[in-house]
Amino acid sequence: MASVKLKVDGREVVVEKGTNLIEASKQAGVFVPSFCYHPGLPVVGVCRICLCEVEGRPKLVAGCATPVEEGMHIITRSAKVAEARRAVMEFLLIHHPLDCPSCDKGGECTLQDYTIQMGPSRSRFTFEKNTWPEEDVGGKLILNKNRCILCLRCVNLCKDVAGVDEIAVLSRGEHTYIGTVDGRKIENELAGNIADICPVGALTSKDFRFQSRPWELKNTPSVCPLCSKGCNVVVGYHPRRNEILRITARTNMDVNQWWICDRGRGGFHFIHDPNRIVVPVQRAGGTARTVAWNAALPEIARALRGVVQRHGPAAVGVLGSAELTNEECYLTRAVFRDGLNVPNVDFPARPQPEVTYARFTIEGDQNPNTRGARLCGVAPGPLGLGVNEMIRAAAAGTIRALFFLRGGPLERFGDPAIVERALRQAELVVVLDLLPSPVSDRAHWVLPGVSFAEKDGTFTNSSGRVQRIRKVLTLRGDTREDWRILQDLGRALHVLPSADPDPERIFIRLAQSIPAYSGLTYASVGELGAPIAPATADVAVG
Amino acid sequence: MTVNGSVLLKTVHLPESHTLAVYRKHGGYEALALALQKQPDEIIDMVKRSGLRGRGGAGFPTGTKWGFVPKATDKPKYMCVNADESEPGAFKDRIICQKDPHQLLEGTLIGSYAIGASRAYVYVRGEFAFEAGRIREAIDEARKAGLIGKNILGSGWSCEVSVYLGAGAYICGEETGLIQSIEGKRGEPRLKPPFPAVVGLFGCPTVVNNVETLACVPHLVSRGWEWFAGIGTERNTGPKLYGLSGHVNRPGIYELPMGTPLRELIESHGGGVPGGRAVKGVIPGGASCPVLRGDEIDVPMDFDSLTRAGSLFGTGTPIVMDDTTCMVRAAWITARFFAHESCGQCTPCREGCGWLERILVKIERGQGEERDLDVLLSVTDQIEGNTICALGDAAAWPARGFAKKYRDEFLQHIREKRCPLGGGSLH
Ligand SMILES: Cc1cc2nc3c(=O)[nH]c(=O)nc-3n(C[C@H](O)[C@H](O)[C@H](O)COP(=O)(O)O)c2cc1C
Ligand code: SF4
Ligand code: SF4
Ligand code: SF4
Ligand code: FES
Repeated sequence: MASVKLKVDGREVVVEKGTNLIEASKQAGVFVPSFCYHPGLPVVGVCRICLCEVEGRPKLVAGCATPVEEGMHIITRSAKVAEARRAVMEFLLIHHPLDCPSCDKGGECTLQDYTIQMGPSRSRFTFEKNTWPEEDVGGKLILNKNRCILCLRCVNLCKDVAGVDEIAVLSRGEHTYIGTVDGRKIENELAGNIADICPVGALTSKDFRFQSRPWELKNTPSVCPLCSKGCNVVVGYHPRRNEILRITARTNMDVNQWWICDRGRGGFHFIHDPNRIVVPVQRAGGTARTVAWNAALPEIARALRGVVQRHGPAAVGVLGSAELTNEECYLTRAVFRDGLNVPNVDFPARPQPEVTYARFTIEGDQNPNTRGARLCGVAPGPLGLGVNEMIRAAAAGTIRALFFLRGGPLERFGDPAIVERALRQAELVVVLDLLPSPVSDRAHWVLPGVSFAEKDGTFTNSSGRVQRIRKVLTLRGDTREDWRILQDLGRALHVLPSADPDPERIFIRLAQSIPAYSGLTYASVGELGAPIAPATADVAVG
Repeated sequence: MTVNGSVLLKTVHLPESHTLAVYRKHGGYEALALALQKQPDEIIDMVKRSGLRGRGGAGFPTGTKWGFVPKATDKPKYMCVNADESEPGAFKDRIICQKDPHQLLEGTLIGSYAIGASRAYVYVRGEFAFEAGRIREAIDEARKAGLIGKNILGSGWSCEVSVYLGAGAYICGEETGLIQSIEGKRGEPRLKPPFPAVVGLFGCPTVVNNVETLACVPHLVSRGWEWFAGIGTERNTGPKLYGLSGHVNRPGIYELPMGTPLRELIESHGGGVPGGRAVKGVIPGGASCPVLRGDEIDVPMDFDSLTRAGSLFGTGTPIVMDDTTCMVRAAWITARFFAHESCGQCTPCREGCGWLERILVKIERGQGEERDLDVLLSVTDQIEGNTICALGDAAAWPARGFAKKYRDEFLQHIREKRCPLGGGSLH
């Protein structure tokens, strides 16, 4: 890429050809305000807050819409620029309700921030303001046109990223407004991003509205667990309430750019489901009793050992899960395949229709860690059985114990009638999960696992990128991180020589033994993830 | 309405002036035949030398604009005719569309040939349905006569022309708004650069020209650029259609040389103000041009002279206001137009135009305060130069012009808390 040398307020900077004045100024350490400009959307140049002076040009230019030129001198600290910014701020506020105290965007609103920074503190507009009623526009968004500054980001997100014209600009002049076409509801599953990028409180998330002030939230970087894409997200949780209140997009140019889908955005409510499994439960003869971990795991270990002693390790079937982290998958292998010599280790696929938008795809695999599960060894050993075969073998009585690392609907594991029979036939069925399901309803033991927001770990996404999830919530009830459960079980079975205190340490071990992860550490994975070694990709340890 | 002239309006009085037969009888399409024997560059050169400047308002040299169209490109090129004439006061293109559509088509074809376009669109103001029909008929006639379509006049060059009827938005007269509209999009100006000559209609090199501009072209081709350059003043050449309206005895369209003095236009041609009343002010070139006071009308009507006089030539269509006119009301009506026509895209124009209108209504109703006048001027400063297209400027200039030139009258409204002219009149 050719580079261009220029000056911004006297500071010299070299930038790539084609860079606009806003980005070039940023690289020179000079802030240029913007409302409508978004690096992921087409440049519209409508808000005019980014007006800059360019030496030698009589008129101010829009920083977002002007590319740099060799030898250019951008001036942002002049009376002319200050006056233009003040003018735009005043114009944007004349019909604005200034209802920050009751606006959900307060605290993270660009208009509010700029008004404090550079806006006029009094309005000279003495007339009645234009007002509009609030509106449910679908897409889990509420539109308050009074606050809209017509930056068109929402319009272009739908048009350009989703590729559907679901939000349009209507009418003209000061009566211009954005709205849905013929009052239809927004249906595209990327619309939630608008709540992230609307610079004001005009389009806000119905889900998050009035839940909390943004400054009450703690934000932690993580990864969406709902499909194999592995979108980078920010988990916003309320420490006092120990509750996640929203998930927003986190920029990662190699994965999801600036966007996430609405499934990922809303995909945290299950964590706070009142039906969560919170204690180990043993079910026998139609009655269920809660059991403390220190009694449950030794009992399960004894029962497993019993099956292995009586029928051999091939009589155990392990239904692993690609919802679990790399570390947990590694432990699954260590405990069952390497420890107990169980050859039957596999995990169920969880396909879904792939949804392709103009510039974003929701992937067809609901497992966030399919790549990692395979690479870390959640795969049948020599002569080992896959998911369906295990279920059939259990229904036929040759497999005597079934260990599910995640439950679910019966059809996830095969023909429901056969799964039903398998679960009835087996003498030991253990299910580790968050919520009750048809599978766990039929188990002898149900153990409480945790969600992606209640543990640390890593996922490997479909393109082979290793990315970190983080524990943000304190564990509820007697729930335990899945890695800890697996490790404790391994200890109870006497198959793990030692226990690691945290997933980071497990990862070090994992990286030492699995070539694809060789050289990776939590530090090198960092906030944005790191690719597995390309040459070893997809070669599972057999 | 008086209509007279010797070049552009030569045949408009004749019965059936809009037909091919009448047009041809008076030498029509001879310029096209002549042009097709020349190289496109020769024509561009001729137009440059003629000094023809765009009649759409900005006065940009037409030959220079044509020369901006890149030669080395695989993309198709387009010619767009701007027949959106919607500015209050402007009514000069309409007569050509109505009475002499072949003159427009001939200019369009020569222009298309010069820039290498084989497709031309005539964008007609939505309200000009009758004129659009006339142009369509003319296109059909010309096509049948081998003047439009394949292998025009046996030259090997082909060109299609079609009419696109707008939907009634002034902003679609702005060249990039026009392009958006033809593309079937919302009529909103685009950011410039890139300019249409490089990225225009459907992303391809495009020239947008005013009706009157193109109507000049056949004449300068057949009579020579020297002839054209000999009319008018030095940098403002050729014949011009002046649409005179307002308080004059003989409103109408007068074809006179560029640079005709405004006073001559009003007094000699327009027959002066009815009842012998005084000229209070003149908006010289359509509503966007700052008003001139009655004592400022000794000015030649051309681009450079009016700019020097602190106003603009615009479309060269003066609106005369006599001393019964309330200038606050005139300012308000102007502001209302621009507020109504703002596309609403960019902040200063969208928010500022409505604000100007509100202040002017307030003053006209006798509810104004002195500081409103300061706010008014400050809002015009805040709009000017900060917008995407010139509509923002077009709203700011006249409001500022009225408020500055008739400050006393504005203050009188404020002090007397009423309109001293009883609301005035503006026909
Ligand atoms: C708000 C606005 C409205 C305009 N309306 C017209 C119009 O109706 N007709 C026209 O010829 N030019 C109009 N123009 C000027 C065009 O943008 C353009 O400059 C012109 O068509 C170029 O033609 P010319 O070079 O032949 O003058 C308008 C400009 C603005 C900013
Ligand atoms: S709703 Fe928000 S994103 Fe959409 S135009 Fe208005 S301010 Fe911009
Ligand atoms: S695309 Fe997949 S990973 Fe991304 S947010 Fe949606 S469900 Fe989550
Ligand atoms: S100046 Fe006015 S008309 Fe022109 S783009 Fe901006 S809002 Fe639209
Ligand atoms: S950020 Fe440049 S015009 Fe909006």
